[in-house]
Amino acid sequence: MAQNTWDAIVVGSGISGGWAAKELTERGLDVLVLEAGRPIDPARDYIEHQPVYEFKFRGLGNRQRDRDRQFIQSVAGPFEEETSHFFVDDVDNPYTFDEDKPFYWIRGRHLGGRSLMWGRQTYRLSDLDFEANLREGVGVDWPIRYDDIAPWYDHVEDFIGVSGERLGLPQLPDGKFLPPMQLNCAEEVVKAGIARHFGDERLLTIGRCAILTQEHRGRAACHYCGPCWRGCITHSYFNSLGTTLPAAEATGRLTLRTNSVVAAVLYDEQRDRATGVRVIDSITRHEREYSARLIFLCASALESTRILFNSATSRFPDGLANSSGELGNNLMDHTMGGGATGTIPGLEDRIVQGNRPNGIYVPRFRNVKTRHADFTRGYGFQGGAGRGGWGRGASTRGVGAAFKHALRDPGPWSFTFYGFGECLPYATNRVRLNPERKDAWGVPVLHVSAEWGDNERKQLADMAVTAAEMLEASGARDISAFVQDNAPGLGIHEMGTARMGRDPRTSVLNGYCQTHDVPNLFVTDGACMTSAGCQNPSITYMALTARAAAYAVDKLNRREL
Amino acid sequence: MQRRDLLRILGGALALPALRGLSPAEAWALGRELHRTIERLPAGRVLDEHQLRTVAAIAERIIPATDTPGAREARVAEFIDLMLADWYDDAGRTRFLDGLVQIDARSRVTHGAPFVELTEARQTALLDELDAEVQALRDADLPTDGHFFQQMKWLTVHGYYTSDVGVREELKWTPIPGGYDPCKAFVPRTVGES
Repeated sequence: MAQNTWDAIVVGSGISGGWAAKELTERGLDVLVLEAGRPIDPARDYIEHQPVYEFKFRGLGNRQRDRDRQFIQSVAGPFEEETSHFFVDDVDNPYTFDEDKPFYWIRGRHLGGRSLMWGRQTYRLSDLDFEANLREGVGVDWPIRYDDIAPWYDHVEDFIGVSGERLGLPQLPDGKFLPPMQLNCAEEVVKAGIARHFGDERLLTIGRCAILTQEHRGRAACHYCGPCWRGCITHSYFNSLGTTLPAAEATGRLTLRTNSVVAAVLYDEQRDRATGVRVIDSITRHEREYSARLIFLCASALESTRILFNSATSRFPDGLANSSGELGNNLMDHTMGGGATGTIPGLEDRIVQGNRPNGIYVPRFRNVKTRHADFTRGYGFQGGAGRGGWGRGASTRGVGAAFKHALRDPGPWSFTFYGFGECLPYATNRVRLNPERKDAWGVPVLHVSAEWGDNERKQLADMAVTAAEMLEASGARDISAFVQDNAPGLGIHEMGTARMGRDPRTSVLNGYCQTHDVPNLFVTDGACMTSAGCQNPSITYMALTARAAAYAVDKLNRREL
Repeated sequence: MQRRDLLRILGGALALPALRGLSPAEAWALGRELHRTIERLPAGRVLDEHQLRTVAAIAERIIPATDTPGAREARVAEFIDLMLADWYDDAGRTRFLDGLVQIDARSRVTHGAPFVELTEARQTALLDELDAEVQALRDADLPTDGHFFQQMKWLTVHGYYTSDVGVREELKWTPIPGGYDPCKAFVPRTVGES
């Protein structure tokens, strides 16, 4: 008889699930990790060194197939012909949204989840973020402060390896960094321009990223091939598949099941505890149940929320652990795409060698020292500089040998700032179950209602202005500012639909990502977020997951769950 | 066992027993090789023989063989045929095919012969006129997408620089560049002008 009882079940194998698996097994629990998607074999599925001519459309994308099967996924920035196998099939994985308000839900259903193709940018939140809701009377107060999470940021950074520059900024706390990657010469020009003109307010640094600049815990330093998001055979960037899951496996206490779609969490009304999960084998469609004393939902913000909605009981008719009615509310993402681009004159005799898989960062400067008149919160800039390659040939005058040979020299240096802004938690931005639609495995799907508010739009407009200012201060030419109209979801930082809070009447989770209603049920992915900050959120999910796991095991050992 | 031998065996009855003996890494390498072979589609799914010759000639005049191979050796015409068959929608395909008709019409009016029969110098001169038309649109901030030559040049440039010979011989790309230098002194490549 196959085992069907574990100490803990972790739903999801991505950036959060991997950490739950590692921390729970290392603390002595027998853990079952359930992944809805297929297994990934790095030898077969990682394609970072495969030349472009081995792809049918040479990187231009399989348009006809994308239109039929990946019409949502293919809109996302990281989606490309080479990595389409890391994104879900939109026909098998439907959801719905308000007709006039598109929402793009970008998903990876496979072992490792979106940790395989994530952006690897790694920034801590600060008390400027944790105190913001309380200070402004927005949403609910975070039940934690920076001091609560700081040791867990240390713990995560120490394990995954984060390269970056220490800056001593209160709004962007330093971490345990490996040596930073280097700015290129045009980026140095812009850094100096900003320091000259905005030195007391703004600064430019190299991105802090979960990519190794030296050997770290048995993983090799980055070899600068470039496209991390296609996989990395040397595990030089962090993903769960190559790092946390192997650590969990090394304990001998991990069981990993792929193709296992969790349809619902099982709940015992008498004992008032979650007892396990109901799973559909995605290939055979057979259903079975697994039991555990502890359940961690790490399926991604919206998938975890969907599972709770689909786990309604007579005591929780609106979704398991939803006595507050807040489940599904306060959906956030990061706004994206206010910025500017320009040409950096000179430096014709300089090039970059190697493909640095990381850009620049301008930490938030709005509403840090002074209050901005038009909007609250702030944004950070990513981006960087580079020289044009052969691609400019299609829009350059000329034919023949001279045309061909001119393209051998790189084009001018150009620099782009690209802003990522904080989205406020609005109760009206929300997901609910859509009982009319089911996915390929018969599981009811989500309906999303989301749109940017006034504060987000004002930030986006400001990004274009401040980005252009910084380019101008750096001597850039041909500056063009832009405000892209990216719909919610395209930041791929969707979060907040089972928020943490101090009051069980207005929040789903407490400060340890434990549901207020069901003590042995935890949600530690992006669903837990009370506000969004403007920082890339993955490290916060990892730190909160590790912290929740330590707390849960402690409670379990003291028989308090 | 050599990969070449495996490929040959796969064509025959011995395929299954041979496959069973492979390690996962070998099977994967083989799979990729097969995939590559199969996807090198026979040209002419959309373009007939004359159109293919015309496209190949235009592409070679845009990016000719010099000290490195040109568009013809990079099989750019076959790539364009594949794009027309499996990538473009009807409107994009029609725009391209109409453009080919017009280029021959222009060639006949000016020189009394279809494009492929012109001397290389006359072919280049005709394409340079088209290129100047596109540049005039660009200079006037007008969209260039509707112009056949913009489409043709984009396909040629992309097809060439993403081809096997374009990547390896012209760009000299390597999958692992060996470290990172953020500000390296740049020495222009030797230009093979004649």
